[in-house]
Amino acid sequence: MLRFGIRNRPRRLSKAMGRKEDGHGTGPPGRLERMTIIVNSLVRHERIEGSHQYMDEARGYTERLLQIAAQGDKNHEAMDVANYWLKDKDLIHKLFKVLVPRYENYTTCATRMWTLPVEYPGGKNKTSILELKGNPWPPVVPNPRNNSKSLINVLLHNAKKDYRSASKDGTPV
Amino acid sequence: MADKLATLGFRSFLSHQFLKRSVAAVSCRYANTLSNETVEKHRTSTLAHDKEQKEEKKISAPAPPGLKHVHPEFLPNPTFYRRDRIKEKLERQDMYRRRAVCPIPEFYVGSIMAVTLADPYASGKTNRFVGICIQRASYGLRANFTLRNVVDNQGLEIRYDMYSPLIQKVEVLRLEKRLDDELFYLRDAPAEFSTVPFNLEAVSHPPGAPVPVNTTKVKLGPRPWHERWERRNLRGVQDLGLPEKFYEKAKKVAKPWEEYDLMLKYRTSINPQETDEVMDEVAEGFREIERKRRREKLEKS
Repeated sequence: MLRFGIRNRPRRLSKAMGRKEDGHGTGPPGRLERMTIIVNSLVRHERIEGSHQYMDEARGYTERLLQIAAQGDKNHEAMDVANYWLKDKDLIHKLFKVLVPRYENYTTCATRMWTLPVEYPGGKNKTSILELKGNPWPPVVPNPRNNSKSLINVLLHNAKKDYRSASKDGTPV
Repeated sequence: MADKLATLGFRSFLSHQFLKRSVAAVSCRYANTLSNETVEKHRTSTLAHDKEQKEEKKISAPAPPGLKHVHPEFLPNPTFYRRDRIKEKLERQDMYRRRAVCPIPEFYVGSIMAVTLADPYASGKTNRFVGICIQRASYGLRANFTLRNVVDNQGLEIRYDMYSPLIQKVEVLRLEKRLDDELFYLRDAPAEFSTVPFNLEAVSHPPGAPVPVNTTKVKLGPRPWHERWERRNLRGVQDLGLPEKFYEKAKKVAKPWEEYDLMLKYRTSINPQETDEVMDEVAEGFREIERKRRREKLEKS
């Protein structure tokens, strides 16, 4: 079961594929071909940047790949799927030996997405970052400001504490 | 609405009841409803003044691993806009109740079955039909199966709703599987492949034993056929003996990539986690039926 919201219908992504001669081919097979390339590079680099719709589509495929791979490299289905989705064969080793143990105890999904700011004048398409959690790169948002000592946060924190202690006693809040 | 029209001076031919009914008939896809997740969130929210108490699960043991293949009709329809978790649960409860009255034994596509149906126009008020199961379809209370037989050189197929109250008895005369999920190609095969005698004796299957697979390879008759069978990747059919161009065309329209489209599979099937939840509940439902039957037996004796 995926741990993040997905669209009910897949994006078709048909126009950006190119013809079979100079691209990945049009239609569903070309779309899937393109997805394998994105998943492949995500597993290799652990953080990639690209058009939002492509990243969002590839995110689901990556999550499913990781979930199926969690059955282990002895599992026929898992190996078959990994063999199709990872065109660089050294990544199959990384998938089973590095990534599957990393996400073994995760209760959240294994990927994260960030929407990048639009540069003036901007187009209609958003650019996004797709990354695997627990990657070795520095965080996307550096040095997040610590607001825990601001007045409103202190008040909210204490209000929460009061609420919790009150509800533990059983007194109505 | 009828009142509103009347105040505006229009004569209404619609009764209130009709309007109510017409609204209730709207598919859940178009109805003005909340999503399951939203309702669930508010039910369990700590801020809600009447927070729902979590019901403890009464499931005593997990379901055996192959149960979803034995009773596939208990799994909900995977089409997202057809789903309604409350409706699914209520339907499952009705299914247990029906099974407690009229037991439906384990069967698969390819099994030979006999169904006794209430029929007011038949002599003795019941009608018994024997045939080979060529399809299992649909979900929940609407689940059905199709039996095929050849009587007086006439191919006959009857589709039975599994949970129809008209069904008096379901017998499985030969419990076996075939190589394919659907046997519609028997329509284009000679009659001998789908002829079953009506007085066939039932062969009992030892409980717990694996279900045998019938590896009969059917020899289809000459074209024209009901479908282009060369495009269906059939395993239970002998070589079709077609010219090469048919296979070339079949290769052209095939969709081999769909096997690896993980998200397509995810969207068009019930995910393993949810399947396990449903099947645990189903196993418990079956145990409850068994307990009830034993209790009734004791009371009688």
